[in-house]
Amino acid sequence: MAESSLSPVVIVGTGVVGVVIAEQLLDAGIPVLMLEAGPRVSRAEIVENYRNLPLAAKGNPIECYPSRPWAPHPEPAGAGKGYLQLSGTDSYAQSYVRYAGGSTWHWAGTCWRLTPADMQLHSRYGVGRDWAFDYATLEPYYTRAEYQLGVCGPDDQALQWPPQRSKPYPMPALPFGPGEARFTEVVREKLGLNNIPTAQARNSGTSYDDRPACCGNNNCVPVCPIGAKYDGATALSRLEARGAVIRDNAVVWRIETNAQNRIEAVHYYDPQRQSHRVSGTLFIIACNGLETPKLLLMSADGRNPDGIANRSGQVGRNMMDHPQITMTVTLEEPYWAGVGPVVNSGIMETSQGDFRAEHAGAYFRFNNFARNRFVTFDALQKGLVGKALDEEIRRMTACTADIVLAHEILPDANNRLTLSDKKDGLGLPKPAIHYDVGDYVRRSLEVYSLPIANRIADAMGATHRVFSKQFNQSKHIMGGTIMGLDPANSVVDAECRTHDHPNLFLPGGGAMASTACGNSTLTMVALAFKAADAIVKQAQEA
Amino acid sequence: MLKLKQLALSLLLIGGAAQANDDALIKKGQYLAIASDCTACHTTEHGQPFAGGKAIDSPVGQIIATNITPSNTAGIGTYTEQQFADALRKGVRADGARLYPAMPYTAYATLTDEDVHALYAYFMSAVKPVDRVTEQTHLPFPLNLRVSLFFWNALFLKAPGYTPDATKSEAWNRGRYLVDGATHCSTCHTPRGMLMQEKPREAFTGAQVGAWYAPNITANATSGIGEWSQDDLVTYLKTGRLAGKAQAAGSMAEAITHSFQYLSEDDLAAIAEYMRSIGDSSAPASGSSRFQQGNAANSTAFRGAPLTFPDDHAGARLYSGNCASCHGTLAQGTKDAFYPSLFHNSATGAANPSNLIATILFGVQRHTAEGDVYMPPFGAQPSALNHLDDRQIATLSNWILHNYGNADVTVSPEQVAESRRGGPASSLVMFAQAGIAAGALLLAVLIIVVWRRRRR
Repeated sequence: MAESSLSPVVIVGTGVVGVVIAEQLLDAGIPVLMLEAGPRVSRAEIVENYRNLPLAAKGNPIECYPSRPWAPHPEPAGAGKGYLQLSGTDSYAQSYVRYAGGSTWHWAGTCWRLTPADMQLHSRYGVGRDWAFDYATLEPYYTRAEYQLGVCGPDDQALQWPPQRSKPYPMPALPFGPGEARFTEVVREKLGLNNIPTAQARNSGTSYDDRPACCGNNNCVPVCPIGAKYDGATALSRLEARGAVIRDNAVVWRIETNAQNRIEAVHYYDPQRQSHRVSGTLFIIACNGLETPKLLLMSADGRNPDGIANRSGQVGRNMMDHPQITMTVTLEEPYWAGVGPVVNSGIMETSQGDFRAEHAGAYFRFNNFARNRFVTFDALQKGLVGKALDEEIRRMTACTADIVLAHEILPDANNRLTLSDKKDGLGLPKPAIHYDVGDYVRRSLEVYSLPIANRIADAMGATHRVFSKQFNQSKHIMGGTIMGLDPANSVVDAECRTHDHPNLFLPGGGAMASTACGNSTLTMVALAFKAADAIVKQAQEA
Repeated sequence: MLKLKQLALSLLLIGGAAQANDDALIKKGQYLAIASDCTACHTTEHGQPFAGGKAIDSPVGQIIATNITPSNTAGIGTYTEQQFADALRKGVRADGARLYPAMPYTAYATLTDEDVHALYAYFMSAVKPVDRVTEQTHLPFPLNLRVSLFFWNALFLKAPGYTPDATKSEAWNRGRYLVDGATHCSTCHTPRGMLMQEKPREAFTGAQVGAWYAPNITANATSGIGEWSQDDLVTYLKTGRLAGKAQAAGSMAEAITHSFQYLSEDDLAAIAEYMRSIGDSSAPASGSSRFQQGNAANSTAFRGAPLTFPDDHAGARLYSGNCASCHGTLAQGTKDAFYPSLFHNSATGAANPSNLIATILFGVQRHTAEGDVYMPPFGAQPSALNHLDDRQIATLSNWILHNYGNADVTVSPEQVAESRRGGPASSLVMFAQAGIAAGALLLAVLIIVVWRRRRR
């Protein structure tokens, strides 16, 4: 079914990157059409989905976002079961949400920046790739991202990560809960490590952007029920009030090129598998680091036989994340994790150093998720009942903690997303990902991060410690449409514009040329702002 | 030479003393401007102070607040003190045109000459002039004829100034002076007659203000706030809330934010003393107040089915998905009452459900020294946490009323729709138009009769 162009600029994806770019375009007076594969649901519906779950399912944030058959995302059961076809030494088992508003629905809100060194791994340490620009170039965009999302963070420069900032955080840091406060004390006193407040997109002590203040109820994941944490969904109605058109349940399956190899249109399926064509002058694919390369590969045509934007052959390669190991410790004294936001502090300094020539850096995080949800099952297994059960749950809630060791990873062309021969509900190929965290990460665990973790456990007075058996994913999808100055080995340029198609932009985590150790969202949003400036300029010239 | 020096010195001293006098006068004027909450109407949300332009919803249409900065071209810069006093206390502009009583000049008429002088000094010398002309107010016929207010004023405007009641304490008189004058409490809390005039016999017994209801604030223990202590009233005016009883929203939240919280302890105590002396002759002899209604209650019978599942538990589901995260599963709120309980709460315990509906539709915003209070709206606003329709808000309101609040009250979707439109419209426009039509008809009949008689 053909459809006339509604808007000069078409944004595919309504996650944080898509909505930030849409807002910049609207600010410049440029109309926007947004296409979203998944449904548009109310916050109340997600909150109730969560409350209706059995306790055993509450620990998995994806459970209250059931996939629609036409827009599956990875989930343990339902339409998204088996959606990712995984192979390799390690498992690239990501989770993300194909809903209007995107995966920030269930993020923790963590907003670490990269450091200057994080962006120059190759020139400084001879590993990985350098970014197409330096930290000073990215810094103004980080600042805009922090003010757009409403990020709270410390005023004290010694506690800022990194300290190179042009403006203070829009809101002050949130206070530590008792577990974090004690953790901070013991690692400083016994190990000389600095556990610093997490910069986070959460309203601290005040309303911001017409959203209420956080009250520290530890409900951030899988959804903030009151919108005190930023998520992409909080922007959707505002964008519409400003004239944006948002079409949900519109699964883009093909990007169409013209004779000049510019993008001419995108095609989407509705839930009845009727196809619709939307033309435009500028196209932004903002479907996160997994769906974006999948769509590019699916759209291969005569002019682009290996997929759109893929003359370099790098589309879908260099798939990255933050491979993490969780250390669960049992403690003699009560720490009480769970007061305040779910992630509220971290040891970042361990991510930096000349050792990065040899192995990955790591970031250590005292997970502040309330523990009762997890420990109840262990208490039940002990066969306790009644008051004894209650007491054991209480003891374990207070006296256990998860410390997460999050590692950086290098871009590796063999860590690769391809199209599986398995099909989803609309008959579109499921993504297949081959993944190996690599020796750089494994060496870090062996000689660096695990020894530090053990020292942390000792400092905390752990009577028992258990490590996860394999590297788990942090759900920070990066690298699949990697950025670089050389079109021969990268997909997008410094503005996230594809080297191959001047009117196609792929902003977000896929462009990141290094991962560092901190969560990727703020960098994705900073890249969105940088791309938005270029898109506005290009739209105004057209 | 010595004389000259002495003269210069004494002039300097006089000048210095005059300067100090001016400063004190301006400070007093500023305090009175805060007490009078001029900014509530005359300053837009992110606009310059007193530059006007804000559209004030009234039951007869929108009235645009004017620029009251001392700008010679767009404001009141050319006003003499007498003209200023007449605008404030008589509702007459410098050009002789009448102000609409959306400007509470019937209350400000109470201000003494001395206080008007201080206000004049403040506005003329401490407010920054803004040369931006505000839009004109366009009310429907015949209310667009400002001359009609000449008659209205003749009927309803009292003589300027305040006459103390010698039988009462100094504080009581100060309280009455503030309540009747600067803080213009009756403007919202006193019911109005058919011509929009305040009904003095029903003073402070509660009135509809747009979508909100300014409740009964007489000292009657059943209908009003008689069970509040002196300290309770002061706490409420300072913070906009009284745990386990009430919280300010709508224009009262604005009054707390911009005005009451800045008043001196003595003035707040005086206001409280006066308010605690006001009776309500029409109140029932017994019964429970709006602060005593309801109890904590739980219902989890609905648990397990989706939010959108249509059955008898729709209200409980809406409550759980939209309200329980802050107000608790039992509607108990938080221990510190930052999130208030929904029982023992004026908004859910009153016989008039306007404030419950309006709170859901428009949320709560208040800024005090205690910090920032922000409850998101649930209407059609882009910032709404969830967009609830009229039927959903009626269902939710009834769930709240019947489980935690005044169980005798029921809300219909039509009531919600009316609140969404800004509250009930006044029939004054219709009456006035009908009245003029009837008058014209009568005139026509008379002319015909006279003309016929002459022909005879």
